[in-house]
Amino acid sequence: MGAHLVRRYVTETDTEPDPNKKYEFDPQFGFEEREAREMVATQDQMNLAQLPLEQRDYCAQHLLKFMKCKRDNWPNFLACKHERHDWDYCEHQDYVMRMKEYERERRLQLRKKRIQSQPEAA
Amino acid sequence: MAGVGFRRWAQALSRGKGSGLSALLPGCRAASGGSKTDLPSSYPLTPEAKAAAAKKYNMRVEDYKPHTDQGEGYGDYPKLPDTSQQERDPWYQWDHPDLRRNWGEPMHWDFDMYIRNRVDTSPSTLSWSSMCKQLFGFLGFMLFMFYLGEKYPSYQPVAPKQYPYNNLYLENGGDPEKQPEEVVNYKI
Repeated sequence: MGAHLVRRYVTETDTEPDPNKKYEFDPQFGFEEREAREMVATQDQMNLAQLPLEQRDYCAQHLLKFMKCKRDNWPNFLACKHERHDWDYCEHQDYVMRMKEYERERRLQLRKKRIQSQPEAA
Repeated sequence: MAGVGFRRWAQALSRGKGSGLSALLPGCRAASGGSKTDLPSSYPLTPEAKAAAAKKYNMRVEDYKPHTDQGEGYGDYPKLPDTSQQERDPWYQWDHPDLRRNWGEPMHWDFDMYIRNRVDTSPSTLSWSSMCKQLFGFLGFMLFMFYLGEKYPSYQPVAPKQYPYNNLYLENGGDPEKQPEEVVNYKI
């Protein structure tokens, strides 16, 4: 917790990824093949449900199911635990993917720096 | 008794010189109020006038000091120190405890301002320099910390969130005629 801030501002200022800048490495680099993320909810569906833009991500289909369950079961506010869990789990996996992307970028930056310093040392 | 007074009044009325209401009023004042010499008068020019004024205001001649005459109309009213009643001893047995004043004491020109409910001139417990240092020290420290926070922001070690449909090109108000740049998001 906060080790990345120490790395960014104190110890490894040149390799730690900057959240404001775009990540520079090719997404396919280092992978044999990579699956694209699948978007299930269509733009029309999200428009009709009037989802705010921040919620129109790759978990929107779970959110739409959850909202429908909520509306159908009102006033029983305890009814949609399963749908809520599905949406939460999807969001959690999305967040874990973001963490992995950050870590991938960081390791590639370190590798780049290692390679650059090798011929100088050699 | 009342009849005698009425008769006298009628006689005085018939010989009286005034007109209107003043003709009906008695020509002498009652002895109960203050005499003419008790009222404030003009600026005292001679030492005798100063002594008389000091006696009038129940003050010692050494203590009595009139306002300087600049045409403002203070006359011989004394210039008392500009301190509020709050500064007076709270434990002394004043005649009027809420006003912290004794009977017959000369009243300040702005007495109604200096009562305990209003203006208070009592000194603050801290010195001016100490208060300034504390306030500006705190403000300076906060400004410095906010500046540091702007320069070195704190964030979570995560990549930016990925959105579908070319980063929601149409939803963000993009032109439907133009072709947006293709954004592909991968699983990891």
